Amino acid sequence: MSEKVTLVDPPSAGPVAHEDLSLLNEVSLCTPGDSHLEMCIQCGTCGGSCPSASAMDHTPRAIFAMLRAGMRDEVMKSNTPWMCVSCYYCTVRCPQDIHITDVMYTLKNMAIKSKMVQDSTASDFSRTFISYVKNYGRSFEIGLAGIQNATHLKLAARLPNMIPMALGMLTKKGMSPLPPKRIKGLDGLKKILDRAQELEAE
Amino acid sequence: MSSEDKKPKERIGVYICHCGSNIAGVVNVADVSKWAGDNLANQGVVVSRDYKFMCSSLGQELIQKDIKEQKLTRVVVAACSPHLHEPTFRTACKGAGMNPYLCELVSIREQDSWVHTDKIAATEKAKAIVAGGVSRVVHHEPLIPLKVPIHPATLIVGGGIAGIQATLEIADAGFPVYLVEREPSIGGHMAQFDKTFPTLDCSACILTPKMVLVGNHPNVTLLTYSEVQKVDGYVGNFTVTIRKGARYVKTADCTGCGICWEKCPKKVIDDKFEAGLGYRKAVYTPFPQAVPKYPVIDDINCTYFQKGTCKACEKFCPTNAIDFTQKDEIMTVEVGNIILATGWDLFDARRVPNYGYGRLANVFTNMEFERLSNSAGPTGGNIVLRDGKTTPKSVGIVHCVGSRDKNYNNYCSAICCMQSLKFAHLVHEKTGATVYNFYIDIRTPAKAYDEFYQRIIEEGTLFVRGKVAEITDAARNPGEEGKLIIQVEDTLVGKQRRIPVDMVILSSGLEPRAGSKEVAKTFGISCSADGWYIERHPKLDPVATMTEGVYIAGCVQGPKDIPASVAQGAAAAARILGKIQQKEIALEPIRATVIEEKCSGCRICNTMCPFSAILFHEDTMVSEVNPALCQGCGTCVAACPAGAITGTGFSNEQILSQIDGLLLLTLDKKKEAAVA
Repeated sequence: MSEKVTLVDPPSAGPVAHEDLSLLNEVSLCTPGDSHLEMCIQCGTCGGSCPSASAMDHTPRAIFAMLRAGMRDEVMKSNTPWMCVSCYYCTVRCPQDIHITDVMYTLKNMAIKSKMVQDSTASDFSRTFISYVKNYGRSFEIGLAGIQNATHLKLAARLPNMIPMALGMLTKKGMSPLPPKRIKGLDGLKKILDRAQELEAE
Repeated sequence: MSSEDKKPKERIGVYICHCGSNIAGVVNVADVSKWAGDNLANQGVVVSRDYKFMCSSLGQELIQKDIKEQKLTRVVVAACSPHLHEPTFRTACKGAGMNPYLCELVSIREQDSWVHTDKIAATEKAKAIVAGGVSRVVHHEPLIPLKVPIHPATLIVGGGIAGIQATLEIADAGFPVYLVEREPSIGGHMAQFDKTFPTLDCSACILTPKMVLVGNHPNVTLLTYSEVQKVDGYVGNFTVTIRKGARYVKTADCTGCGICWEKCPKKVIDDKFEAGLGYRKAVYTPFPQAVPKYPVIDDINCTYFQKGTCKACEKFCPTNAIDFTQKDEIMTVEVGNIILATGWDLFDARRVPNYGYGRLANVFTNMEFERLSNSAGPTGGNIVLRDGKTTPKSVGIVHCVGSRDKNYNNYCSAICCMQSLKFAHLVHEKTGATVYNFYIDIRTPAKAYDEFYQRIIEEGTLFVRGKVAEITDAARNPGEEGKLIIQVEDTLVGKQRRIPVDMVILSSGLEPRAGSKEVAKTFGISCSADGWYIERHPKLDPVATMTEGVYIAGCVQGPKDIPASVAQGAAAAARILGKIQQKEIALEPIRATVIEEKCSGCRICNTMCPFSAILFHEDTMVSEVNPALCQGCGTCVAACPAGAITGTGFSNEQILSQIDGLLLLTLDKKKEAAVA
């Protein structure tokens, strides 16, 4: 037997580039406080508890395993953090005290910076929300709903069904279609927000 | 420091151990040895050597040869912790004719090489530690161990399987045993179980013969319905105060015929033996094979005790054995050794609100299931829903309830995997239902355990890897109506699943007994943060405690299964039998003594002593340490405001000169710097 053996590269997702082995640490460091992320035992309490699990392409537990495996691109592209509704069920129930909701926020930030977000529906929603906060010092829900619907949620097709609810929001809930009054001391708030952005950039 | 021109009065040998590479890998042992020989000669060091394994017989012979040839009067061994090899080197010195307490063991492994990586600094530290030992050993005194006789009787607390095993081992060897049990019968949790893993033999069938042996044994004094109140004394000579609860039954007259509990009109939910699933009467024995056979009257539920009338039991008793006037009885016994085998409590599953126990009727605990499955249990062994008649078509078994979870208990309860597999088998065999096991990891690491797991897989049990997130009765679709829905991430699929079942069994974990901390205090032993009792050494001395004469066996030391509990019960008994055979015990002569002249009689030490070893003499107004009780912990020495207490082997002189020695190097360096 003198047949030459050729070694074939293993399939994708492995071996992982060395610099990505630190992905888990990076996420951990970018999360305020001690996230305990490295303590995950892959039990799935988070994925089992999550009300949005069915909409996620990976469960939170799977995301943590992918972080360990250094699968940076897959995690950055995942919709998982964007589906998180911050209900904190996972965080409360996690047997390892991992601050899962906080980690989801870290992943959202990293995903925006990486410019790999696949569907900008959720990130644009956050941007619109914070732009109102910057301009008025408070949230402007009708404006937020209007812009989000106009840009993302196939407004034309859904408009007929939404008109009664929109009217109801104006009449029954007494929401004003006009932009809100600016808060006093908006300058001060701006300084706070700018400083926060500065700190985040560091 | 003493002046350097004075001729040293002792001849000291210094021995530096390499411990293979454990020490030599970090510390330059040859350098330390040479340094000690050159620089500590003024303190009396006449020989300094290093050797690969000082603890080997060749290493020991090296020391013995030097003691004889060099006429050594003191020995310092720099090696591992005294906890490990102090006895070895003391014995070696004794073999060469030296008083063993003139040997000092200093640790350059645990306190140096194992905790440092900088080799140069670690070598310097080793020199300082050796210098400390040399300075100290000069002040050592020859001591003679105290010998006390050992009372041949043993107290065993807890009549579960661990306590039963220990009782039989000691009693069969011909020595008396007092077995104290809080419940009306011995047997413990094992008496409640149906089958035992992995062989599935009937729990009662293997347990009750042992219970009968204990009940009939001429060397066993069985004290059920009793609790230990107080323990005085010390190894070999404990005086134990026991409160024997009033049974209201004259055991001399009772035949155990059972007419009293047949006639008793008062039904009580049995939340102990039947785990709340069945009833007992106000006069009862916990189960038919109870040992002893005599019933007790539960005065909290008895109609006569509560309302003043009834006495049905008394009327019908054929031997006039009922006695409503009985009172609790206090008795004291003398014993030489004690075994604590008080077992465990079940984790209260109500503490996990998302699992719905106590709110959702068909969520059961493991102990409830044991009784449900037991042919002597309330359903005659029929596995049915809470309505008492419906057989489940699908059953979910949830592992790790309250275990491996920082919200409840961090530790693994060790028995739940095997127990859950056993449950899967029993449900499958008796009902043919579809069975799911929800697990994080399957842990089957003992003989024939993994084979059992294989068997359960083969039987068709469905395994879902994921910690259950919640159990609910809120249906989302028609298929879930009327069911319990187990919501879980199937982590091997990576998807959330909702699995509808008829019955859920929670494998609740094991917890230390409520009040275990107080019990530990009564017996003078220590508890871990979790509440389990701490063994003397986790690997090499798992049944002894740091308190001489007090042993632990079974789950009181940590969660474990029946085979491990039996092994520990037997092991503790073997340790005690060895002590009894010696007839007397040598106590470490490391003791505190009160210098009467200095004692102000403030009594601060009296209450601080963890071993209750300090007496106060009202007549002379001074405290005195009982040398047999004293464990040499040093608490009183440090606490005495007058400096009136001194510890042999730990005198102020010894400790201060050791500190001088430790600082020697630093001081020398300062001197050099000053000269330069």
